Amino acid sequence: MKLKNLLESLSDLKVDYLSLREVHSKSVSLSVRNEIFEGLSHGEDHGLMIEIMMNGQFAYGATNSFLPEDVRACALETKEAAIKASRFSLSKFSVDERPKTVGEYNSPGKLTIEEFKPHEWSDLLMDLSSTMKIHDHVISRTASLAVVEMQTHFMATNGSDIKQTIYRSSVSMSAVASSEKGNQRRSYGDDQSTQFGLDHLNKTKLKVEAKRVAEEALILLEAEECPTETMDLLLAPDQLYLQIHESIGHPLELDRILGDERNYAGWSFVKPHDFGTLKYGSPLMNVTFDPTVVGQYASYFADDIGNPATREFLIKDGVLLRGLGSLESQKRLGLPGVASQRATSWNRAPIDRMANINLEPGTSSLSEMIKSVKRGIFMHTNRSWSIDDYRNKFQFGCEFAQLIEDGKLTKIVKNPNYRGITAPFWNQLKMIGDKSTFEIGGLGSCGKGEPNQVIFVGHASPVCLFSNIEVFGGGK
Amino acid sequence: MKALESTHFEAFAQKILNELKADEELTLNFSGEKTLFSRFSKAKVRQVTNLEQANIDFNFIKGNRTLSFSMPYQASELDFSLALKKLIQSRDWIDSLPEDPYLVRPKHYGVTKEENLHTLPHNDDMIGMVLDLASHVDLAGVFSSGDIAKATINSKGQSHWFKTRNFYLDYSLYNEKQKAVKSLYAGNTFDSNELKRNITDAEYKLSLMSRDSKKVARGDYRVYLAPSAVNELVGTLSWGGVSMSAHKQGHGSLKDLWQQKKKLSPKFTLEEDFSLGLTPRFNEAGEVSPSRLPLIEQGEFKNFLVCSRTANEYKLESNFASDWESMRSPVIHTGDLSRSDILKELKTGLFVSDLHYLNWSDRETARITGMTRYACFWVENGEIQAPIEDLRFDESYYSIFGENLERVTDFSEMNPATGSYFQRDVGGSKTPGVLLSNFKFTL
Repeated sequence: MKLKNLLESLSDLKVDYLSLREVHSKSVSLSVRNEIFEGLSHGEDHGLMIEIMMNGQFAYGATNSFLPEDVRACALETKEAAIKASRFSLSKFSVDERPKTVGEYNSPGKLTIEEFKPHEWSDLLMDLSSTMKIHDHVISRTASLAVVEMQTHFMATNGSDIKQTIYRSSVSMSAVASSEKGNQRRSYGDDQSTQFGLDHLNKTKLKVEAKRVAEEALILLEAEECPTETMDLLLAPDQLYLQIHESIGHPLELDRILGDERNYAGWSFVKPHDFGTLKYGSPLMNVTFDPTVVGQYASYFADDIGNPATREFLIKDGVLLRGLGSLESQKRLGLPGVASQRATSWNRAPIDRMANINLEPGTSSLSEMIKSVKRGIFMHTNRSWSIDDYRNKFQFGCEFAQLIEDGKLTKIVKNPNYRGITAPFWNQLKMIGDKSTFEIGGLGSCGKGEPNQVIFVGHASPVCLFSNIEVFGGGK
Repeated sequence: MKALESTHFEAFAQKILNELKADEELTLNFSGEKTLFSRFSKAKVRQVTNLEQANIDFNFIKGNRTLSFSMPYQASELDFSLALKKLIQSRDWIDSLPEDPYLVRPKHYGVTKEENLHTLPHNDDMIGMVLDLASHVDLAGVFSSGDIAKATINSKGQSHWFKTRNFYLDYSLYNEKQKAVKSLYAGNTFDSNELKRNITDAEYKLSLMSRDSKKVARGDYRVYLAPSAVNELVGTLSWGGVSMSAHKQGHGSLKDLWQQKKKLSPKFTLEEDFSLGLTPRFNEAGEVSPSRLPLIEQGEFKNFLVCSRTANEYKLESNFASDWESMRSPVIHTGDLSRSDILKELKTGLFVSDLHYLNWSDRETARITGMTRYACFWVENGEIQAPIEDLRFDESYYSIFGENLERVTDFSEMNPATGSYFQRDVGGSKTPGVLLSNFKFTL
C-alpha cells in the first residue's frame, strides 16, 4: 500500500499529530585482500516509523510490515505509548515543532544498484590490491567498495510530503607493511565517502593512491619514532575531519547540552549562555552547517521530521553562534539551531545530529604555512581518536607524519600522536589553508543515542596550522 | 509477533532451501526483536519507541564462489517472493565473481532450541516503578525490555534457535554539581526490591560525590580499577587483541605476548566462558564454540580466537569464533583482594569506577588511551577524600595486566551487553576489579 493510503487509513485515530517515515535502502559491498576476493554482500532493508504526538508527548512505533492491519496495530500501540508517557513528559511540544514541508531531493549519483555489475568492481579491487603488491613486506593489501541507495518518504497529518533519494558510495584501501622492525599501516578513503555514486569514481587516481599507500607503509617501517615535544602542528584534511567531528560537531549538539545524552555519549563543555559569546577558536575559524554542498556525504533537503535544511554559520570569526539542534531542542533552550533531527533508519527515533559540518577555507597556501614553521610536524590520516564525555580532553593518533624544520619538510616519523583541550586548541589555530588545500569528505559511522544509532555525516576542511601542541610517539 | 516464532522461520527456511539447485548451498541467519525503549532525562520521559524488526542474512555458495545477501522478514507470504528474487539475482551475479579459496562450506553441527522466556511485568509498570523510585533524583538513561531471537538453518540440515526475554535499566544519577554515578539493573526476571536496592545504592554513591572535586595533576599514581572499568579494557582488547586474523594481517595488539617476548602477570587469566549464559554458543555459521576457551592463562598466551575462514586461510584449527573473532563472553578470573580491603590496599591513589572512550595509542606496544568517567575518587591513606576531575590515561596492557598488576579482587561482576546499534545486543562479560601499583595519566 502506498504511504499516502496508509496515512489516510489512520485518519480516524484522533491524534494530535502523526507522521509516517518509510525508509527503503539497498546496499552492495565488495572486498579484496591480497588479490583474493573476500566476498560480495547485497542487502535490502525496508520499514516504517510512525510518530505520534498526544498531549505534547511524542512516541514512536517502528515496524517492517506494511500490511495495513499491522501498521494500524503499531499506530494504536504508539498512540497508547504517547498518552502514557505524557504523564512523565520531560518537555511538552506542539505542532509548531513539526512544520509543513513539501519537496524532493536526489543525490547527484546516478548508478542504481539494479545496474550494478559486480565483476567490473571486483576487477577494479583486484587491480588496486595488485598495485599495492610492491614488496614482500607489504603483507596485507585490502581494497573495498560500498554503495548504498536510500529512499525516504515522509508524510504527515500537517500536509508534509517529502521524498529524498540518497546515493552513498566509497572506496577504501589499506596496506600493512611488516618486518622485524614492526608493523605499519597506511590507508586511503576512510574519509572520502560522497553522494556522487560510482559513476564519478576516478579509477586512475585510485591506482595512484594504491601505490602511494603501499610505498608509505614501507617507508614508515624504517622511520624514526615521532618525537615527544611541544611544537607547531600542521594537520591534513584527512585528520582534521575527525578533529572537527569530535571537538566541534559533538559539543555543539543541543541535546548533549540539554543533558539528554549524559548516560551514553556524554554531554558538552558548552553552556547555553556561551552562544554569541564564547571565543571557540581563533578569528580565522569559520564553521558552517551546510547540507547544500552538492555531493557531500550528508547533504539533504529536509531532516527526518520535515524541517527544511539551510546553510548556517555555527562559528563565525572564532565566536560560537549556533548549535546543532532540532526544533524540539531549540524550543527547550530558546536558542537557534539547524535542521538536523535525524535517524539512522526507519527503526530509530530522530535525534539531534550533525550533517555536513565544514571548516571554511582561509587564505594561506600550503607552502606559506610550511615556510612559517621553525619547528613542527605535518600529520596525515587519522588512526586513533579519544575524547572525554564533555568533549574537552582529546587525543588523536595519525598514520603518517613529517617533521618541519626551519620552514622545510624533513624527516618522516612513525606513530605520531597529539593531545589537547578543545577550546584552547582551536584558539591556537595560527594559519588556515586556502581553497587549494580544501577537501570534502565524510564519515559513515557516527555513533550516539539510546537506543544506539549510527549515522553518516560530512566534513570538509583545508589544511590548518596550530601552534604549541603536545606531540608524542608510540613505544612503551 | 509472528516473526519471532521458530515455526514460522523454520517453515520459511525450508521453502527457500527447496529452491536450491544441486550445486548450491545456503545458510540462513535470522535475528529479530520486539523491544520497548524508553529514554529518560531528569527522571522524566524524553522519547519512547516500540520496535518490531526481523531480518535474515543468507550466505549463498555455488561451486567455489560465494556471496551473501540480506532482507527484512515479516513472517508473511511476501518474504518468500522477496527471498526468491534475491536468490535469482545472486545466481546472476555469482558466476561473474572470482572464486574464494577460503570459503567456509555449511556443515551439519546439530539441531538445538533454547528459549528463556520468563514472565516480566508490563512495561508500563516497570517504567512507572523506575520513575517513582527516581522521582527525587536526576536520573538519565534508558529502559529496554522485550524479546530477542537468533537462529541459523543451513542446507545440510543444521538448525539452531535461541530466544530470550530480558530487560535492562542502564542509568546514571547526577547531583547539583553534575557529578554522576553509573548503574545498571538487568536480567530475565524483574524484582522491584532489587530495583529499589540498585537505585538506593547508586544514591549512596552519589552522596560521596557531593564534596568539592580535586584536580589531580597528570602523572603516575596507584590506581584501583573497578569491575566496570576492567570491562572497558576487555572490550578494547576484543578490537584486534585476541583475533588470529588481526595478528596475521599485522594489526594485532598482543604480538609480543603471542611471540613470548613478553608475559602478563601470573595473576591474570582471561577466557571465553559461555557458561555465563548471556549469548548463544553458535556463531553465524551455526558452529558451536567450546563452552570454555582459555585465551591468556596466568599471564601466558594460550589461544587466539580463530573462525573457520581464518582457519582455512592459514591452515589452522578453527575454534568456531565469530566472523569478527571478537570475544562474545569474556571472563577474567578473580584473585584474593576482598572488597573490604580495596581502599586499605590502595593506600594513596585513585579509585576509578569507570573508563570511557578507549582507543589505541600504539597497537604495536598494546598502548591504549582513554578517560576516567563517573564516580572516581582521590584516596589518601585508605580513605576516600574527594571526587576527581576527569583524567586522560595512556598506558600499556603489559603494564596494566602485567608488571603493575598487584592484586585482583576476590569478586567479579556481570556486565550484560546493553549496546543496541542496529538491534539489541546479547552477550556480556564478567570481570573483577584490579589494583595497580602504577597508572599513567597524561592530561
